[in-house]
Amino acid sequence: MKKRGIGLGCSWYGTGYGNGFPDVSSAFVEIHDDGSATVLTGAVDVGQGSNSIFAQIAAEELGLESQDICVYSGDTDATPDSGTTAATRQTYNTGNAVLKAVRQAKSSLLDYAAHEFSCPTSEGIELKAGYIGVKGDSSRRMPLADMVFQARLKGERFISAESSTARSTPVDPETGQGAPYWPYAFGCQMAEVEVNTETGMVRVLKVVAVHDVGKALNPTQVEGQIAGGVTQGIGFALLEELELKEGKINNPALSSYLIPTALDVPSIEALFVEDAECTGPFGAKGLGEPAMLPTVAAIINAIDDAVGVRITSLPATPEKILQALAEKKEGLGE
Amino acid sequence: MKTSVVGSRVVREDAWGKVFGQTKFPADVNLQGQIYAVVIRSPHPHARVLGINSEQAMSLAGVVAVLTAKDVPNNSHGVLFRDQPVLAEYIRMVGDPVAVVGAETEEIARAAAKLVEVEYEVLPAVFDPEEAMMPDALPLHPTLRPTNVLYHMPIRRGNLQEGWAQADVVIEKEYSTQHVDHAFLQPEAVLAHVDERGHMVVETATQYAHYDRGEIAHALGLRFSQVQVKTLAVGGAFGGREDISLQIMAALMAWNTLRPVKMENTREESFYSHSKRHPMRMHYKTGATKDGKLVALEAKIIGDAGAYSSWSINVLRKSAVHASGPYVIPNVSIDSYAVFTNNPYSGAMRGFGAAQTVLAYESQMDLLAKEIGISPLEIRLRNLFKVGSTTATGQVLTGSVPLDQCLAKIAPYLQRGGDSQ
Repeated sequence: MKKRGIGLGCSWYGTGYGNGFPDVSSAFVEIHDDGSATVLTGAVDVGQGSNSIFAQIAAEELGLESQDICVYSGDTDATPDSGTTAATRQTYNTGNAVLKAVRQAKSSLLDYAAHEFSCPTSEGIELKAGYIGVKGDSSRRMPLADMVFQARLKGERFISAESSTARSTPVDPETGQGAPYWPYAFGCQMAEVEVNTETGMVRVLKVVAVHDVGKALNPTQVEGQIAGGVTQGIGFALLEELELKEGKINNPALSSYLIPTALDVPSIEALFVEDAECTGPFGAKGLGEPAMLPTVAAIINAIDDAVGVRITSLPATPEKILQALAEKKEGLGE
Repeated sequence: MKTSVVGSRVVREDAWGKVFGQTKFPADVNLQGQIYAVVIRSPHPHARVLGINSEQAMSLAGVVAVLTAKDVPNNSHGVLFRDQPVLAEYIRMVGDPVAVVGAETEEIARAAAKLVEVEYEVLPAVFDPEEAMMPDALPLHPTLRPTNVLYHMPIRRGNLQEGWAQADVVIEKEYSTQHVDHAFLQPEAVLAHVDERGHMVVETATQYAHYDRGEIAHALGLRFSQVQVKTLAVGGAFGGREDISLQIMAALMAWNTLRPVKMENTREESFYSHSKRHPMRMHYKTGATKDGKLVALEAKIIGDAGAYSSWSINVLRKSAVHASGPYVIPNVSIDSYAVFTNNPYSGAMRGFGAAQTVLAYESQMDLLAKEIGISPLEIRLRNLFKVGSTTATGQVLTGSVPLDQCLAKIAPYLQRGGDSQ
């Protein structure tokens, strides 16, 4: 018989290295003569899309489009150290470093432009749609490229180097008391499953995921992180297990170490909450790791809801579910 | 704040190359005159290497070099402690690299690897972290720790006895999680060469090029300024590309032979070449009042660190800090341990110790709700962190703590008789 159930899982996650470990990111920025710009950072894009996020941050600050920005990363001869791509830290930490660096280069650009436009303060200058000009006076503006090119003729360059360090303190080793991480990211997911009581097979039919991202810098990438996280969570909950015998791996192949395939991925509804994190770039927090955390709980709780058995050991294989169902039947018979 | 590019659905620049198959992953790059290197790994979980005879292998046509521990200037690497050998003389896990063979083709290198004779003295091994914790267990890293307990983190808050006294319902259960592999789609690959400046250039897929540079420089006895690590497209990482895998061995071979060196793991080699997610045993005892308010938590978490320390201290710290779940619990006693065994070493993986505890704390929440007779949503709403809440480590949460908003958004989907297909 196939029985359906739903389950809820919540989670929290302290982002960054934590426990007072120096969590530093750095970035170099150069605004070019043609009004484009380059961002150099050590932060490796492991496929999650950090380079695109940094381009968006730089473009936003400079009044440009994302494609006007070249982001080059992860080359130790050319880029500054930005820490590891881990701990859900690149959007937040290197994002902050890029923002600081862009703002520094921009600040000298605005000062220069203020002088050129006979404006006593750079507060009166804005960068918008590829132009630089006086706020509120559309007659006094010029393409950013022209301004940067003219500046070069006078020996002015708009380049910068900045670092950003996340806040964190070590906990007391005896009591564990302290503020080890900042910020924390929250989330919850609902899973609907179908359990086959004859085979013990679990199919995940649907997952709804709601994650706290501070600010979604790129909603498509938020959805991508959630889809990937949920899928990895399904593998953790139902499929993946290294079989070890005396330290030897018995299933070192993707034919025997099972990860979810496209056919195992349910309908995923990815939602997010934007409650700005005041220390993050444009209010953003990281999402990389949090996206997979609640899935396992939502699935295990849904299995209980469907067939009334509590699986306490991962993965929830058909064998474990059949055994739990048999034990439950025995228990009822007594 | 009004933004135009930030918050928009900009298409990633790398999307095109990946969709059209033009992206260069490390396995896709080659250099004129390159040789291929393969690793000889220990079949034993705990052993001493008594001798390595590479005469026969070296006599095979096309073999360029066989390198062993004695060829490594500084034979260690590691993210927290340099407790992992580049090429091992003392084996702590199946898969520890003992030699690396360089040859004109991959086929010759693999054939030669079979001809290298390694003599081992096999030692008794321990695979169960609780056994490994026993005081009489042989310590695997005596210079680092006197026992196999690499790390213990206690969290104490409030008064547990008072907590149990207030509890109307107590749920006590054991949970366990498994060894998980990152199973990224692209197995490890490296191209290393000494360039015209005399610099060591290593092209690879890593999570942290600057860390790799430091470890390569340390092992080879070079300055940071003499080593360039260049990251090519990364085909998935998830924590599995934080520790060094093939980078130092490829650099060592290139430095010794002055030939460009290519290395590429098979899937099977990949399984032995990077860390695993920590399996954890979690004993949880949680108490709540009949109104569904959490009042006490006692948790003991044992994580199998495997053969090397990698990030285990940080991972088990993260387990302890997050063990309460996102809930206010005034009386708490949590202990987490990271324990050395002769299993594959555990390290970073997406969720980093906070992924395992979700199973325990969220199962406990559902079991408590059932016992009390309220819904799973309701028990969470009554205990969740809000702005101003204090965590188990005594941290007062300020700023953005919108779990209530997340639950408000998911609540409609928890209604029975929903529209799911």
